[in-house]
Amino acid sequence: MLSIINYIREFLRPHWITTFFTAKTAPLVTPPHFRDFPELTDKECTHCLACMMICPAPEAITVVKREEIWRPEITKGHCIRCGLCIEACPEDVLTSGRILAYKKEEELTLQGTFHIEIDQSKCMGCGNCTVACPVNREIDPALRSSGTSTSDEVIMRVDTGQNKVLHEEKCTGCKTCEESCSNGAIRVARIVEALQGGEK
Amino acid sequence: MKKTVDISLPVGPMHPCFKEPCRIKCETRGEYVLAAEVELGYVKKGIERIMRGRPWQEVMFLAERVCGICSVIHNFVFIESVEHISGIVPTERAAYLRVIVNELDRMQSHLLANYSYCYTIEHETLAMYLLNLRETVMDQLELITGARVTCAFIVPGGVRCDISSDIADELRSALDHIDAELTRFIRIFETGPLIGLRSKGIGILTKDAAIESHAVGPTARASGIDNDQRSTHPTYTALGFSPVIRQEGDNFARIMVRFEEVFQSIRLIRSALEAMREGPIRGGGTIKAGSIRYRGEAPRGELLYELTTDDYGRILEIAIQTPSIPNIQVCAHAMLIDAQSAADITSIFISSDPCIACTER
Ligand code: SF4
Ligand code: SF4
Ligand code: SF4
Repeated sequence: MLSIINYIREFLRPHWITTFFTAKTAPLVTPPHFRDFPELTDKECTHCLACMMICPAPEAITVVKREEIWRPEITKGHCIRCGLCIEACPEDVLTSGRILAYKKEEELTLQGTFHIEIDQSKCMGCGNCTVACPVNREIDPALRSSGTSTSDEVIMRVDTGQNKVLHEEKCTGCKTCEESCSNGAIRVARIVEALQGGEK
Repeated sequence: MKKTVDISLPVGPMHPCFKEPCRIKCETRGEYVLAAEVELGYVKKGIERIMRGRPWQEVMFLAERVCGICSVIHNFVFIESVEHISGIVPTERAAYLRVIVNELDRMQSHLLANYSYCYTIEHETLAMYLLNLRETVMDQLELITGARVTCAFIVPGGVRCDISSDIADELRSALDHIDAELTRFIRIFETGPLIGLRSKGIGILTKDAAIESHAVGPTARASGIDNDQRSTHPTYTALGFSPVIRQEGDNFARIMVRFEEVFQSIRLIRSALEAMREGPIRGGGTIKAGSIRYRGEAPRGELLYELTTDDYGRILEIAIQTPSIPNIQVCAHAMLIDAQSAADITSIFISSDPCIACTER
């Protein structure tokens, strides 16, 4: 009995009756706070590679030079829309949903330090990673054509058949080297810290 | 004379009442269930293996993907375990924000579980009402974190973003709406005679059987066991948390425990919004080497992360014990036995809120 009364009460509510007779599906809209794939703002990218460093999805973001301008490009099939690259980018090049706004407002940032590990038992000294590394190529442009370097300023180079790390502190943690190594011999540990209020 | 045949009755792996694939193999005499076994292995991901050797900022996203329905708690427990290893304490405001998002996630998970149950006992009206109400919760999650599921909200030392006073107001009014709607739905559920026939006294799990078989979460609490990891969590104790417990141990009790926990979550969010003071939401801190076993309360029960990290913040070893692992076995070996009708097999199974994706990680 109580149950019937409850049902009658449920279906006699004015709200129920009006929605029953005027039922209409609301149009599908993406709310502005939805964390979608990152999009570019009109800010200039400085090729610092912080976005590639933080990205948790393999090869979701790459910073490429097209028509003399550096620009991050997102592969939508790989990107998981986490929004970390937006928080990590120091130049506010990327945006999505509310992330860029609250990042600026609350001075949020993600910062990392890096440690390169080369497993000498797997490394065959091919030098693929030294050539692929974007920082190396900027320091020693000769790498691009010759594939070897004599500079002592590069992050790493192949010396007497073995890859040696010279300047770990210059690494930006972009993971390009990991992706270029066919043996999985090089691993870059990224020690990331989530901070607020600028530099600590 | 009617001949009684012993039958092996398979339910699943594809079954209209199941959200995910699994097979229940029942030995029955007519409709009476003599024994049951749950067979898994249809959706194994091997996610713990993928996590190994990766830094926290990658594992955090993998952890969320263990379970799509209760993703926030995996994020929560994983981050709190690495925080405990490294001696990082989240800022006060961040701790409250974590509770708010975690409780919203619990609400939507419980509403979905109860939707499934109503759908299984063929009360589709109530089922759709609950599913519709769940959308209100999902919208709030999206408003706060930017995503409905896999919110990626919690980071070591804090959370991803703050909530403004506008968002807090919207959250409060959404909670009022859920409170009012759910009170009506529960009235329908409690007084429905047909719902009672399918739920009361069905699938009884006695307290002794629950203790013996290590039931966790709402399944255990519906059988009178005081087992809720939130009771020992500092932020929850500060908010005056006390677990919801019922004694009956049947389908009805399990569903009602979940309904009551939704109200409890609403209260917790309201008091967290009250208690929250302005302040930083991130405290920084890097992950150090160490090992830990850390527990948290997922919507389905106790969630355990056992992991080892190295000096560079990478996860070397990890094992995840999700609440559905014990609960599915409890269901097969204690709850399904003696079911009087084959139609109760699905409703009993669904009432324990099994999550196959969690179980098979
Ligand atoms: S949103 Fe996340 S997954 Fe996508 S490119 Fe940025 S960091 Fe990578
Ligand atoms: S982090 Fe920003 S500035 Fe740096 S490379 Fe990426 S998009 Fe460019
Ligand atoms: S991660 Fe590798 S490729 Fe990128 S800067 Fe460091 S050494 Fe170079």
